Amino acid sequence: MAEARSGHDAYAGQFLVVDLTRQRSHTVPLPDWLKRDYVGGKGFGARLLSDLCPAGVDPLGPENPLLFMTGPLTATAAPSMRACVVTKSPLTGIYLDAYFGGRFGPEMKYAGYDGLVILGRAPRPTYLWIRDASVEFRPAGGAWGSDALAANAWIKADVNAPEAQVVTIGQAGERLARFALICCEYNRQAGRGGAGAVMGSKNLKGVAVSGSRLVRLHDPDAFATACAAANADILASEACAALTHSGTSNAVPWSNTVGTLPVRNYYDQVSPKADRLGDAGQQKHLFLGKAACFGCPIRCSQMGAVRTGKYAHLITDIVEYESAALMGANLDIHDIRAVAHLVKLCDRFGLDSMSTGSVIGFAFEAVEKGALKIPTGVDADLRFGSVAGAEFLIRAIAFQDSELGRLLGQGVKRAAAQLGRGSEDYALHVKGLEVPGWAPRGTPGMGLAYMTADRGACHQRGFMVAYEVGGASYNGHPVETYALEKKAEILKGEQDYLAGLDTLVKCDFGAFGIQEVQYQRLLTAATGRTVTENFFRHLGERIWNLTRLFNLREGLTAADDRLPRRIVAEPLPSGPHKGRRISRADMATLRGDYYRVRGWDDQGRPTAAKLQLLGLDKKRRFDCGPQPFPDEADTHSADGP
Amino acid sequence: MALQRFIKTNFDLCTGCSLCQLACSQRLLGGYNPHRAVLKITHSCENLYHHPVVCNQCRNPYCANVCPVGAISREAATGAMVVDRERCVGCNLCHRYCPIGVVGVDPALKKSVKCDLCGGSPRCVGACPTGALELAHNEPAPLNQAAETGEGAVDNG
Repeated sequence: MAEARSGHDAYAGQFLVVDLTRQRSHTVPLPDWLKRDYVGGKGFGARLLSDLCPAGVDPLGPENPLLFMTGPLTATAAPSMRACVVTKSPLTGIYLDAYFGGRFGPEMKYAGYDGLVILGRAPRPTYLWIRDASVEFRPAGGAWGSDALAANAWIKADVNAPEAQVVTIGQAGERLARFALICCEYNRQAGRGGAGAVMGSKNLKGVAVSGSRLVRLHDPDAFATACAAANADILASEACAALTHSGTSNAVPWSNTVGTLPVRNYYDQVSPKADRLGDAGQQKHLFLGKAACFGCPIRCSQMGAVRTGKYAHLITDIVEYESAALMGANLDIHDIRAVAHLVKLCDRFGLDSMSTGSVIGFAFEAVEKGALKIPTGVDADLRFGSVAGAEFLIRAIAFQDSELGRLLGQGVKRAAAQLGRGSEDYALHVKGLEVPGWAPRGTPGMGLAYMTADRGACHQRGFMVAYEVGGASYNGHPVETYALEKKAEILKGEQDYLAGLDTLVKCDFGAFGIQEVQYQRLLTAATGRTVTENFFRHLGERIWNLTRLFNLREGLTAADDRLPRRIVAEPLPSGPHKGRRISRADMATLRGDYYRVRGWDDQGRPTAAKLQLLGLDKKRRFDCGPQPFPDEADTHSADGP
Repeated sequence: MALQRFIKTNFDLCTGCSLCQLACSQRLLGGYNPHRAVLKITHSCENLYHHPVVCNQCRNPYCANVCPVGAISREAATGAMVVDRERCVGCNLCHRYCPIGVVGVDPALKKSVKCDLCGGSPRCVGACPTGALELAHNEPAPLNQAAETGEGAVDNG
């Protein structure tokens, strides 16, 4: 079974290393140990970031590497696969991975690379044009200063290759707003944590890729069988069917019903107008047809246009749940056409619509409470419910051309620290990353997930809402909503499993349906590698501990594993969880349990025994050649001893 | 003459996922690359529209008409226009004169490749999750019409 049938293993077999400072590039063979111990995607990213990013560097400095990583199943017909960006976050100062669908990930592999390792800083605004082995550093010219979609079109025209796949940043990334995103054409983004600002700090406006190489499988027949089984899992899944029908928009009314929808800067968690933002409102005002990421049968994208009103003829994807929650309900804006407009502005300017919604909610509340004075000359209404106020702030943040824009463009943590006057009390973040659209006061396990996620407050590293109010069972038993017991154990299992699958790189929505055994079969058929029952969980745990080590190295302490004050100190005013909060004592219990089940000490540090068990005690490092780079074409092998 | 099969495209159902192209390239070349499949999808208007483009299996096939060595001919069983790789000299004239760009020389094979309907059971149709691609057939053309289009000249089936 393990012997090669075809001699192929679905990997491209090399990374492309790009030195922007010196405008040079070379390839590095994919080391066998890296494939074996880290598989791809998140695993590659976590290992490479740990090894290539010097401790303590400024995330917006040239030393911070920007990594685009694929997995062994990216670019194959395995359903619902993606790619990721990994870097040190300028928003949090710790590990960041951001996942994106679309077509750019596969194109990297068709060009012959498992990943792009982008180092240094270009002396002037630049974009990269990668065609198979050819790598050009081209002046960003007219694209610099333009929005992410205009830059995409400009670059495609400049390289005269409409079939090229292009990632770009908007003005927000160029001007280093700390939650700027990378636009992965179209309607797909490496959204969270400010990877777009890292790209901007490197004077890198875009990366265009076109590839003509084949991605070949170890065992095509077995792979076809495994794909059929994975597709059957998707077809049998109600969750996947709901995504096919109306994407994540149907999560709006659901979240409102179970009391997890952020309303008015997370002041409350229910809204009587939520349905206007959900599938009912979006079906009526936006949807026309469906679009899919590359190789995905689920087609969760509901493409459409605003047809009537002030924003008529705006082409828009579905307003995803997170955007509807944070740019809609959280700002008390319930006209879905207006929310689509605001989210489209974020997409064009290159801002994470989740953090942006949270930052605007923070600003509106700060104005309401008198902590933030509206600057003279500003006539926008900076109050909850004001679309014009939200649009004003989006532009201010994206263009960084005013004091207010520069204050808010740092994210709520830094903005509150600078503003003071008690504003820290309603700055909703963990470790600097703004809290997602699943407000956690009635779901302590979800709170723990935010406290412990590797990139700061993230709902995708362990979605405890599904257990606590969604009816998912654990080992055949129902999970008690408000209980603290077992939550750490359940969460650890989720985090490890999902981190394992993020090496492939899976899409969360595919994983709603596809069973673990199918991912194992897909990996085996694609690569020839046989894996044991707990392969993904063990792999995920290794990566989870590696990112923890990275974060500790960058100065994170146990005190950072906590929730924002509003969640801890303010009982919910209404809804199914009225009166609930996650108290300081609750947090201490959850955190203590979590460190224990993780095998970490009471300061949240992995123990020596745990590191040894996971093979993280080995001193193996990824190396992409001597730096600065060799003058001649480089044949240096990165394989360790 | 057998029923002439062809792939009918329903652009209104196409999501642009490219699973058809993956299935095609895997069968044709033994690996995945959508750019080297023999059907295309054009994506436009920020992905609001997806337009699959497949070989029409033309009754008046310019690809065969221009082929200097007669390498492209109609297969009797399916009605597909197929390339005889033994005869193909890789001149790429077929690509130059195909109005929809779905025939041409593959860079690795150095031979012309085009849709042959996979012998009657097209992989792309099987891979499409939405019904955007369907296998259809034409009624046999009346004899006089076939003669007018010159079809008989290249039909060696």
